[in-house]
Amino acid sequence: MSEKKIAYHPGCPSATTAMEQDMSTKAVFEKLGIELEELEDWNCCGALEAEDPKLVIALNARNLALAEKKRQDIVTPCSICYYNLARTDKALREDEKLRAELKEIDGSLDYKGTVKAKHILDVLVNDIGLAELSGKIAKKVNLKVAPYYGCYLGRPPETAFDDPDDPVLMDQLIELIGAENVPFSYMKTKCCGGPLMMTRADIAFEMARKILESAKKAGADCIALACPLCGMMLDAKQPDVEAAFKIEIDMPVIYITQLLGLALGIEPKKLGFNKNIIDTKKILEKVM
Amino acid sequence: MPIKTWELDPNFKYEIMNEPGGEHLTACYQCSTCTLGCPITEIIPSYNPRKIIQMSLLGMRKEVLSNADLWICALCQTCTARCPQDVMICELMGAIRRIAEEEEAAGNIKIESARPLFEKAFLHTLQKYGRLYDMGLALEYYPNREGSKIKGMKAMMKDYKDFGMRMFKKGKMGPLGGGGVFKGMRPEKIKEREVLKKIFEKVEEKEK
Repeated sequence: MSEKKIAYHPGCPSATTAMEQDMSTKAVFEKLGIELEELEDWNCCGALEAEDPKLVIALNARNLALAEKKRQDIVTPCSICYYNLARTDKALREDEKLRAELKEIDGSLDYKGTVKAKHILDVLVNDIGLAELSGKIAKKVNLKVAPYYGCYLGRPPETAFDDPDDPVLMDQLIELIGAENVPFSYMKTKCCGGPLMMTRADIAFEMARKILESAKKAGADCIALACPLCGMMLDAKQPDVEAAFKIEIDMPVIYITQLLGLALGIEPKKLGFNKNIIDTKKILEKVM
Repeated sequence: MPIKTWELDPNFKYEIMNEPGGEHLTACYQCSTCTLGCPITEIIPSYNPRKIIQMSLLGMRKEVLSNADLWICALCQTCTARCPQDVMICELMGAIRRIAEEEEAAGNIKIESARPLFEKAFLHTLQKYGRLYDMGLALEYYPNREGSKIKGMKAMMKDYKDFGMRMFKKGKMGPLGGGGVFKGMRPEKIKEREVLKKIFEKVEEKEK
């Protein structure tokens, strides 16, 4: 990978619920010698709550244009921000009329389609590459991991950068750091229920329960993931899921950047291991 | 109940196809791949996207738009990814939901779901600040959902009591949390909020 500077779109949860993902992403890229320059004055992507595609496109054109001004590709740790940025980029590249309409709303929405929107997992595995990463591994992360991808890395087809049913990019990173992927392919891309959490918690909890219990049954020490909404559902809401079904799960949920960071020799505190809701002590004891 | 053909709206499918995301509706040949792989159907067996599509094609406008199942789609994109006809079911459902919201605003139907309220509260914070503001979102959503301020506060406390404490203990949210005294309690605002105002005005104008 030749660029040493990338525009960073942290996404809203990076400041609060997904702090550890933000911290570990920054720490890992710093260690790899790539500067993540936070996009100044970035705005929310609209998440999945902005159902009108016109609104999503306008909101994300602004972020893309901010990156374009800096002539930097834009990278985000959130799979929903990624989906919204990537589909906006695609729509605007293909539609001159739409570009003109946006420019008319405000000059700052004038995106010409010269940068790429990427998810950090894509950058790590496909741009930086496993070969370069393997040269920097300082520590074997001796864990059994359930790789959980959720929805927006392999779907929908227009923005996907991994397989929709059996994605592999996280599996490859997990292998690279010396950890073991437990059999989990039937759950890898099943929705966590996050988008229904605030309106139909009963359904959302059932969806999360299936994933958490499958990871446990597969003998995983932890779940690895790459999306703050999945993190919220599987980690922060795990005690609520346990209470709703009167079960005990106690399954640590770790962002893939946190695991990679350990392998790169970064200290756990810098990777936010004290921020995950389900205690990560057991994980760290096994690794350190 | 048999379908009364004289009550069908032959234009309903075109109405959907005019909405962004609804364009591919008529490509559906009812294979049911969407429904067989749906994680919601697995939990709520009556949830059937294939059936919603067929009812839309037939013109069962009122039945489709007032169907509460429209609002339990988790937007996971499994159906869109697997559809052999590229119907983009996830987006299609969004298009139908938007028509339902317009119908509700016009006083023609009643939506039996809190989701539109949640989405509106989310977008209000986004419009106002440029970023998600959980607290502001919750303070609008819960009272609207419960129908009164007091009931709303009670429901909010119930959901947030344990969850909020967890966040607080880890310094992720709350007064005196690790990342600043009022982390997450006050909105993060972007500078160019004027642009957001213009965006929302334009989108709302188009809807009219």
